[in-house]
Amino acid sequence: MYKAVVIGGSAGSFQVITRILNSLPKNFPLPILLSLHRLKHVRSGFVEALSIKSGIEVVEPFDKDTIKPGKAYLAPSNYHMYIELNKKIALSTEEPVNHSRPSIDLTFETAAQAYRDKIVGIILSGANRDGAYGLKKLKQLGGLAIVQDPNECQVKTMTEASLKMTQVDHIFTTQQIINFLQNLK
Amino acid sequence: MSIFELGIVDTRNIIRLLDDVYNYDFKNHALTFFKRRVENFIKMHNLRDAEGFIQKIEKDKMFFEIFLKDICVETTEMFRDPSLWRLLKDDLLPKNIANNQNFKIWIPEVTSGEELYSLLIILKKAQLIDKVQIIASSISDINLERIKSGLFDSKKIEVNDANYARIYNDNGLSDYYTIKEDGAYWDISLIENVKLIKQNIIFDDYPKGTKLIFFRNQMIYYNQILQERYMKIMYNSLVPGGHLLIGNNEKIDYWNSDKDFVLVSDTECIYKKKLS
Repeated sequence: MYKAVVIGGSAGSFQVITRILNSLPKNFPLPILLSLHRLKHVRSGFVEALSIKSGIEVVEPFDKDTIKPGKAYLAPSNYHMYIELNKKIALSTEEPVNHSRPSIDLTFETAAQAYRDKIVGIILSGANRDGAYGLKKLKQLGGLAIVQDPNECQVKTMTEASLKMTQVDHIFTTQQIINFLQNLK
Repeated sequence: MSIFELGIVDTRNIIRLLDDVYNYDFKNHALTFFKRRVENFIKMHNLRDAEGFIQKIEKDKMFFEIFLKDICVETTEMFRDPSLWRLLKDDLLPKNIANNQNFKIWIPEVTSGEELYSLLIILKKAQLIDKVQIIASSISDINLERIKSGLFDSKKIEVNDANYARIYNDNGLSDYYTIKEDGAYWDISLIENVKLIKQNIIFDDYPKGTKLIFFRNQMIYYNQILQERYMKIMYNSLVPGGHLLIGNNEKIDYWNSDKDFVLVSDTECIYKKKLS
């Protein structure tokens, strides 16, 4: 029933993302949109590191790429990644939002507008409040909101900010997130 | 993030108005991008809604100029993508300019000028600045005036300096700017010989015989019709063997790129026009 998964993370989320990607089956049926804070002057290495053991292909999309199921799309460093209504990627170098580019809020908000109630949004460990507003929008538009259990996060700020703003559907540990995703059809 | 949302009909009405009144055609900008920029503009200037925007802008030419500045996406830092600038400094610029007396470089949309000043500083340091002729155009007069004055946002100093240090391993960028009360200023002797030109979105006239074109992170804001139009202009502007620089996550495969261009650097997105 879901058509996409969008994940946001910052400090302390790299290992979580790696575990999630590594646990996904090759035929995972949905696209995964990843908006992660990262060093803006280091372009290479990140997607490679995520790809090593990932069950599905991880790419840094080009502008106007069409989103396809079974692929993970990582927001390129120093770009915002918007999701268009026609399920294409739009990249942008517009000003950082909350000091962040990519902005998790922008990816979540536009992904929610494109997929409405057919999207799962997951906020992971992080050191600022980016993502909280985006998750709220996603929930308002009918999406399913999940937050990583703050007790498990290396840095709690982001998950706690999200929980404060939104009545989420689930608070999950990494293992529970993995189980949930593996059961998506 | 915009709380206020513009409908598609309103967006199209605004596009039509700007074309009718000012002869600027935004029809082939990426629609969601254009809509977002207008929404932000309406919010920032307290115009309430599309009607408020239309009423104000159709009578006020100066306000339209402010709109043109705001629709341009500011380059938020000097030497964005330091690895590209390193390659330009160590290889592409010295190698290609060396035996040229009139090496023509074009920046079709110079926006807030960071790319222009980055380029000028590299050329100056390499003592190549007298061998080039640079043409920088923009749809925004306000941007061009600001570039002429050298003014930039002093909040950017930290990131600018850090990027510069990634290229030159020192803190020498401060040799090229001065901090004053109202902001920071580039050394405007750098742009003495730069030709700054106001352009419409549709180029009636464009520089010919260029050897290097910077068009990074601009085509992401256009739809394919406008992308193709710009590619055609830039292709015709470049001499055979001339280079085209685009943004890191842009592609030109809607254009017949294999036939007309060689991809010289995959990581830095540098294309070279084929010799014949």
